[in-house]
Amino acid sequence: MPGFLRRQSNLLIIAAIGLAAGAAVWRLHGPEGVMRALGVAAGVFLGVLPAMLAGLLLAGSLKQLIPAGALAKWMGAESGWRGLGVATLAGMAMPGGPMAAFPLVLVLAQAGADRGALIAFIVAWALNGFQRVLVWEVPLLGADFAILRFLCGLPLGLIAGALARRIPIAWTPPGSGNTA
Amino acid sequence: MTPGQILLFVVALVAFALALRRGVPTAQRALRETGQTIVRVLPLLVVALPMAAFLAELIPPDAAAGWLGPESGLVGIVIASVAGGFIPGGPFVSFPLVLTFIKAGAGGAQMVALITGWAILGFHRVIAWEWPVLGGRFVAIRLAASFALPILAGVLAQLLLPWFPHALIRP
Repeated sequence: MPGFLRRQSNLLIIAAIGLAAGAAVWRLHGPEGVMRALGVAAGVFLGVLPAMLAGLLLAGSLKQLIPAGALAKWMGAESGWRGLGVATLAGMAMPGGPMAAFPLVLVLAQAGADRGALIAFIVAWALNGFQRVLVWEVPLLGADFAILRFLCGLPLGLIAGALARRIPIAWTPPGSGNTA
Repeated sequence: MTPGQILLFVVALVAFALALRRGVPTAQRALRETGQTIVRVLPLLVVALPMAAFLAELIPPDAAAGWLGPESGLVGIVIASVAGGFIPGGPFVSFPLVLTFIKAGAGGAQMVALITGWAILGFHRVIAWEWPVLGGRFVAIRLAASFALPILAGVLAQLLLPWFPHALIRP
């Protein structure tokens, strides 16, 4: 069960960083600081839980609906720059926060999208998601700044995707089992 | 619930309805898939969220706007790119923070680098979401492919800034 062990190691590393950061907060801000941070964490947890359940249901349903062959054609390892372009557009159109986006990336990976396209998707979603730009950036920072920032971010997904295809680290999507 | 969450729920239910139309076994597979992912992600989330909140407590709220001024040039862009990666939380944290920096005299290119660093590097989001869902190796590949991009965005912004004279003026 190497997959099981790998998941537990992630959990242990995150817990270790959390304990170290928690100890630092205790030293700097005392027990009140720790309680305040835990309160924030609990609030975020309850806040994102409904959206996360919806995002996971969306991801789980899409996996049944989207034919793996079509995706492999659009975003697979052989898809070249066009695949990166498709992934960039899909990322910008993707609404919702990380609780929706990352499970969807996992589904796309299990359905045959290559790492370059997945990374172009993540970068485009994180940087230039239409929803975030329209809801937060334009109202708070003004249209001129938002357009400047958007233009500067536009090529980055393609660059990251193209670079990712050349990085010699082996990766198979978690949960893909023996079928990959 | 926010409008965005409601939209997500509607889209998810439509997708599930489409799966149901393909037949009950398809819908059952979709639900089983959903359940398996929940079981995998939930324990990590319970550990990761307090960790992210502790890190947020440790970051000073008024981290020197002087370092990020228009005259700070490439050094300011690099500082902003890295600092952006350490801004925790969603857009409700980062964009108000950038607004504060702009009012305190930060440069446009540096702020583009800061937002790009927050969006692309966002260590807080990497640890809370990307790592648990996609695994450490994927995170290593993605960060190796994208760590320099916020600096590139800042340099691009520096070049484009003359065409956007109103970029740092509130509407």
